[in-house]
Amino acid sequence: MIRLRNIKKSYFIGERELPILKGIDLEIKNGEFVILMGVSGSGKTTLMNIVGLLDKQTEGEYRFMDVTINGLDDERLAAMRNLHIGFVFQQFFLLPYLNAIENVLIPIVYSSKQIKHPREKAKVLLTKFGLSERIHNKPSQLSGGEQQRVAIARALINEPDLILADEPTGALDSKTGGEIMDLFQMLNEEGKTIIVVTHDPKLASFGKRLIRIEDGTISEDITR
Amino acid sequence: MGLFQKISRGREFLEEILKILYYYRGRVIFSFAGVALGILSICIIITTIDGANKKAKEIFETLGPDSIMVWGGGERQRTARVRGSTLTLRDAENLEKIEGIYDSVRTYYSRRPTMKYKDRKWQSRIIGSTINYFESMSWELQAGVPFDEDDYKNAKAVCVIGSKVYDELFQGEDAIGKVILAGRLPMTVVGVLKERGGGTGGPQIDDRVIMPLTTVTSRVVNDKKYLSGVRLRTNRDVSETVEDVRAVLRRNHGLPESAEDDFTIRSSQDIIKFVTVISGQLLLFLGMASVVALVVSGFVLANLFYLTIQERRKDIGIRRAYGASKRGILLSFLFESVIITLLGGIAGILLSLALGGTFEALFDIPMLFSYKVVVFALMFSFITGLIAGFRPALKASRIEPIEAIRG
Repeated sequence: MIRLRNIKKSYFIGERELPILKGIDLEIKNGEFVILMGVSGSGKTTLMNIVGLLDKQTEGEYRFMDVTINGLDDERLAAMRNLHIGFVFQQFFLLPYLNAIENVLIPIVYSSKQIKHPREKAKVLLTKFGLSERIHNKPSQLSGGEQQRVAIARALINEPDLILADEPTGALDSKTGGEIMDLFQMLNEEGKTIIVVTHDPKLASFGKRLIRIEDGTISEDITR
Repeated sequence: MGLFQKISRGREFLEEILKILYYYRGRVIFSFAGVALGILSICIIITTIDGANKKAKEIFETLGPDSIMVWGGGERQRTARVRGSTLTLRDAENLEKIEGIYDSVRTYYSRRPTMKYKDRKWQSRIIGSTINYFESMSWELQAGVPFDEDDYKNAKAVCVIGSKVYDELFQGEDAIGKVILAGRLPMTVVGVLKERGGGTGGPQIDDRVIMPLTTVTSRVVNDKKYLSGVRLRTNRDVSETVEDVRAVLRRNHGLPESAEDDFTIRSSQDIIKFVTVISGQLLLFLGMASVVALVVSGFVLANLFYLTIQERRKDIGIRRAYGASKRGILLSFLFESVIITLLGGIAGILLSLALGGTFEALFDIPMLFSYKVVVFALMFSFITGLIAGFRPALKASRIEPIEAIRG
């Protein structure tokens, strides 16, 4: 599903080059549950952004879903994201003017997939995540854990191949965070490919594969 | 493919925009109100000018470009809706001798007696007139014939009735040869006028009964000295003839140099001039008001939009992550702004419909509301939304998702 070949990424501050990723080689297959761990500044978020088609590498080749990503234009990238990736973020990013179910339906608006009965589907997802009573609540009326579960439902509505979660437990207490990780575990058992990016060592026990990033390179890659 | 590639579910897309507008309603309301006011005045301008032009054209057509109307009583009395009896038969005779006058209709308006036929009653006004009334007004009959020379000379009790009177009294029955009561005077209907309606002088134009002038002055009002009005037509220059008319009347009435006219003269050109001046002033005043309102509301919209975009960076980021392309974002923000202005435009149109009647009564100008107004108004609001929304939307589309999400 994902194949990175010698991926490098640098930011330029004036004339000075600031390398963030220093040559990443990585392959992730269908059905994996990967914890991508690294301290702040290790380059893990940049790597996630490249994998998630939100950022472009400076060097190297990226193949995603058997498509070479190098040089695709904005329209194509947007379409690829919509078709294949569901994002989950630390700050949830639910839109304040939409209620829970409407937030779940956001990706549908831009989707070229003909998802049948999206509203019903959203309802099923929310119910599955224990939010059947919260369907018409605005984000401000939900707890952090509930908001994150709405966000996960949103990531799933368009039937993506990959779930990309960036510090999904970072804004939650450890109990709620654990519940969210259990949720990912369940989704993985149902066949979803999941990548969780985190700095939190406590999450190392989750997932089937642990990848550590240090200073822009992969320092450890353990499959259980 | 094409522009709408990224928005495959139009209904959800629109619903979302409406929810966004509702969420930011505190800001939206200003732009909305501004556009509504701008469009309101544009609607009033267009309807008024259309109405005024239509009226002017009708006046010109029905009266003829060469006609001059003379009534008894000065301007002041007219504005106070008093009809002074100052115009005499002798005046009319003198006026008709002025060089170039080729047609003259003398008229006498009576009070409004109740007309009766069988058990039906209708109050209408009686106009006594010379026999050339119908030809001169180019007013055809739908049935019967006008009264003739013989009727006129012998002051016979005959009349031609307007279509409104016919409808009220006869309701489709044959009226010719029937006798109706005008007050206490029985008279025979010899003709029925065609409907003229709507245009000049409003709907009352069809509500009249025309009788020979002689019959009215001898048998209805018993006044052999005065007339209500004379309508003259000239084959000379109209304004020169008007001066001659004024001179004759002032001399006949023995008015000193300093006195105002105790009669009123109107040519159809005067009426058109009056209508044009009024609509010109309206155009200037309301035109400026509406342009200012639209420009200001456009600026307000653009600026509030700019603010909103700062606040909605995360919103934009999340949409981009979930598959909105730059073009998709540009489009959805443009839509938002156009929807605000279109809603404002629709409100403006509805307001103008609601206020139109008041306006009409206030300024005594007919308004002609047509589909053209709707098209113009919607076009203007659409363009305002497009222009005001473009730069903010462009800015929104350039926000990179990773920057927005990083916060």
